[in-house]
Amino acid sequence: MEKIRLKVQVISLALLNLGLFQWQTICFPVLNCHSCPTALFSCPIGILGQFVGLGLVPLSVVAVVAITGLTVGRFMCGWICPFGLAQDLLYKVPYVKFDIPRWTRFIKYLIFAGLVVAVPIFLSPGFPLYFCRLCPVATVQSAVPWALINGTADTLTLSVRLVILFLIVVAAMGHRRFFCKVICPLGAILSVTNRFALLFPERNTNCTGCGVCNKICPMETSKEKGSFGVYDKAPEECISCLDCKDKCPADSIKLWG
Amino acid sequence: MIRKIISIALLILGLAMAVYGGFFRKFLVYDNLEKFDRLKNVGITIKIPGYENASESFTPESQWFSEPDVVRAMTFEGIKRYKDEKLISNYPDLRMLKGRIPCPT
Repeated sequence: MEKIRLKVQVISLALLNLGLFQWQTICFPVLNCHSCPTALFSCPIGILGQFVGLGLVPLSVVAVVAITGLTVGRFMCGWICPFGLAQDLLYKVPYVKFDIPRWTRFIKYLIFAGLVVAVPIFLSPGFPLYFCRLCPVATVQSAVPWALINGTADTLTLSVRLVILFLIVVAAMGHRRFFCKVICPLGAILSVTNRFALLFPERNTNCTGCGVCNKICPMETSKEKGSFGVYDKAPEECISCLDCKDKCPADSIKLWG
Repeated sequence: MIRKIISIALLILGLAMAVYGGFFRKFLVYDNLEKFDRLKNVGITIKIPGYENASESFTPESQWFSEPDVVRAMTFEGIKRYKDEKLISNYPDLRMLKGRIPCPT
């Protein structure tokens, strides 16, 4: 399953950044910066911030994210998001691995409320603390490519962005899906609807409570034996990677919740 | 069961929002008069693809933008609020919001 997921992620990365045409009237619910010279769709976080900065709610964007969240939940994070792929690959790099406290998962909600919504409303989308000005995905896909294309850039801004990107890369090498767990504001929105998603892993009566699913869960939804973390403990964190379904010795996990 | 009922109810609401936002919602956007005047006063010709006339021939206009059009304009920060709360183009002419590639963030 992991190999299939990797292939899907690579194909998604290619399709979302084909560069053959742009269809940016539509938001695609993954963190893929629309300022990337080759991006196909708009980033919902970037558009949301710009709209709320004008005192408007982008209904179609909110609807796309809500419909995605309610149908497939954070499946997009696990299978489609290009930055998810980057983090999966970064974690394979031999480096010091570390744990993070459980409370850090709430930081992403604060980032969404603060840097994506409050900063544009009370300050401006042009303010340096607006999420897109700091977003590591935008640094990789937009700030660096455009600096190279134009041959010039605001050195201070680019330096700050590169430092943030470096820190997140290091964190992603040491902790699996660090950005998804702690920072991603889109992950925060999808987390809210994840509990209600139609596509969701669920266990049946074959479960022996061995706890293998929890051990291999990339989102570390639970460490307890006898529980099925993604369902019982932290359904908002599940990215539907299906590693648990793959490794379950009793074949007790099915995808449709 | 309750989870699925909530899910389907929210899904219907989401679909209604998508249809209204995607096909029916409109925003009235104005030319950026300040930039227009500033450029006109210093005698700069505003060149827009497919529109090569001098700035004197411009007349400020407004246009209804659909929400997807506004979404696209937002990818290059093309629209802002004016003092009187109207939505105006960040560029001198509304036509500059069409066919433009996004700017770096």
